[in-house]
Amino acid sequence: MKFPSWTGNPTRRGELVIGPLMILPAALGLCIFQFWPLGVAILNSFRAFNPFNHRPNGWVGFGNYQSVLADPSFQSSFWVSLIYMVLMIVIIIPSALGLAILLDKRMPGTALARGAILGALASSEAVAALIWNAIYQPNSGLLDVIFQTFGLPSQPFLTDGHLAVVCIVIMTAWKDIGLPMLIFLGALQAIPPHLFEAASMDGANRWNKFWRITLPLLRPSLVLGLFMTTIAAARLFTPIQILTAGGPNGQTSNIAYFSYAQAFLFNSPGPAAASVVMMLLMLVVITIIQARALRSRSGI
Amino acid sequence: MTKSSYLPGLKSSLSRRTVLRGIAATAGVLAMPAILPSRAFAATPGSNPGKYKIDLGGYTGPELTNAPITLKIMRQEFPPEVNAVLQAQYDAFSAAYPNITIQEERVPYGDLPTKVQVYVTSGSAPDIMMGRNDFASAYAAGQLTLPLQQFLSADFIEDVYAPLRESATIDGNLVCLPWETNPVYMAFNRDIYDKLKITPPPEVGEFDGGWTVEQYMQNFDDVTKALRASGDTQTFALAASGYGNGGPGSNYTQLESIWVRMMGDPKAAKDSSTYNTFMGVSEDGFTASGYVNTPEAAAGLANYQTVFKSGYTPTGVVPDQFRGGAAAVTFSGTGTVKRFLKTGQPFNFGMSPAPKGTIAYTTTVADSPTIYSGTPYPAETAALLAFICNDANRFAFHDAWGSMPVRKTLVDALPEYASDQRLVLGTNVADNAFGPPKSVGWFDYFSAINPAVKDIALGTDPQTRLNDVATQIDGLLAKYK
Repeated sequence: MKFPSWTGNPTRRGELVIGPLMILPAALGLCIFQFWPLGVAILNSFRAFNPFNHRPNGWVGFGNYQSVLADPSFQSSFWVSLIYMVLMIVIIIPSALGLAILLDKRMPGTALARGAILGALASSEAVAALIWNAIYQPNSGLLDVIFQTFGLPSQPFLTDGHLAVVCIVIMTAWKDIGLPMLIFLGALQAIPPHLFEAASMDGANRWNKFWRITLPLLRPSLVLGLFMTTIAAARLFTPIQILTAGGPNGQTSNIAYFSYAQAFLFNSPGPAAASVVMMLLMLVVITIIQARALRSRSGI
Repeated sequence: MTKSSYLPGLKSSLSRRTVLRGIAATAGVLAMPAILPSRAFAATPGSNPGKYKIDLGGYTGPELTNAPITLKIMRQEFPPEVNAVLQAQYDAFSAAYPNITIQEERVPYGDLPTKVQVYVTSGSAPDIMMGRNDFASAYAAGQLTLPLQQFLSADFIEDVYAPLRESATIDGNLVCLPWETNPVYMAFNRDIYDKLKITPPPEVGEFDGGWTVEQYMQNFDDVTKALRASGDTQTFALAASGYGNGGPGSNYTQLESIWVRMMGDPKAAKDSSTYNTFMGVSEDGFTASGYVNTPEAAAGLANYQTVFKSGYTPTGVVPDQFRGGAAAVTFSGTGTVKRFLKTGQPFNFGMSPAPKGTIAYTTTVADSPTIYSGTPYPAETAALLAFICNDANRFAFHDAWGSMPVRKTLVDALPEYASDQRLVLGTNVADNAFGPPKSVGWFDYFSAINPAVKDIALGTDPQTRLNDVATQIDGLLAKYK
């Protein structure tokens, strides 16, 4: 890359040094905390390990990938990961948008609602999971007590595989909805009011205004929210660990939890690394598909 | 594994650095008496007051360094009163050896095995890590811990209850030091039984004098029906597990294996399913299929499933349920007796042996500190461990925590263990309990079977789930061959 104007301009020549220096800390951080671990994970996915001290002791080519792909637990985790993604997108994106629209109306209690939502967002993921674990507890949990009060039977919130997946998603949505909501709220408040005034003069009703003005102008934020939610869903770990530990029957274990179990419970760092790389590939593919699908409509 | 291959520094893949270190260490040892007269070896094994600055218990190694060093300890979290006892012991040690600083890290009990694994993987682990005797085979095979007999007197080691000592000894090496035990048997709330007018489990001193599993199940059923009939929906016949992190599938080694291995028999023919059920794993420690998924094992876990399905016990975690008076019976041990006696019993209680199946089976699992093989201060670490385990410090610990000592002389010195049926039974259980199946991959086995047991507790077909987990464990153990 050439910077002809900089080299010819003595006052900007210094930027050639200062510029790279300013981005150096961030670049170093990225290299050390993102790219280096990624490189190590990729290398490890081709290695064999001593199961006692987890030190590499040879190369196995694609052996780790073969064993992971043949493992029914991994296959199940793959599909569960996709289910988490779909459920979280379906629950979080519309809910966050709805909340953002409500907060944008500045109705009474808006500040309180905003504080509550951001409070959940700011809370520790582990603490939130522990709170929800208590809520979901059979016999003594808040939900079960409410059910009992209304004469309804006790529900196996965390002990039925399908229900447990939904419970994990609900807890995560409660915790994480604040960030996309903030993004949507910011975008809503950036929409020029005169567009709505003009639409009103043209006789547009509320639905038309939302569909024809709000939604198109929110599309960049929606894309961002979608990507963030997808990635958050793929990385879901703490709620699974605390609420179900992957059970029952591995029905709530996603690839992230599968990788953890391989590395820390089953002394298999090689398969753990291979599954991490596969999760990364899955995310790349999904993100590309999402980007293409949305770009074709919005040109983003 | 042979004894020589276990010793640190004699790993199969010798690097140049290892050889140089070995030469340097040998030269250092040879020169030690001349250059470090203060590091004189203890003259004789055994009790050593007077040989060192303080009573280092069974320690027989060299006098400790004068150089400033830091020793790190990782252990489980205890209640404040027990933490205070241990802190006082560290303070006493540091007062005698002011150059030695002690740093401690506490973790939740159920996370200890994983934490040890993570530390070992990092290559920089605390000098003392709280392990468990059921992982002894893995400690030995992975050369993760130092053999302790090189630092401790033979009579100190011999004093440890035989089942515990043997479970912690691999190929002649004591790879961890059992320091407390809670032999598992049953505690019951007599007030609940009296109120319901139901006969409680028998209070006997013999480990095999209790009820069969069928009798217990009938009793749980009677208690549950009586409680519900009285309108009590919060009290249960059997308390939720308080082992590990609690709830079903909490700690197979210590608790749930009782339901399975009681259905086996170590005296049965070696090719029989009953024998395999008791063993839990093949003799070489690499195969679980045919051992953990036998029809007898499935029958045992079907009993276990019944206590959840029939509502005899909660399906979730309920902390301190028995202590809170909300359960008639709990799997427990001497810890409950001692704590109740010390702090004042919240209700009238009794103790009875664990349910019997084909045999009277219960487990003997002991938290067992290990010395990390990579510690730069093996002698000092061993001395600190021995100090914490000297008679006076053990008495103080057991008094605060309530667990049972692992050494016979300590138990013999406590009169209540000879006079109180609830504790007499505990000593008999400790003498006749069984160690966990021995496999170098026990950590994998343990990690795989706990969720399987939980699944079964919550309704999965026992035989199907056991078949699945047996296949899974076979695959996991294969890497250790």
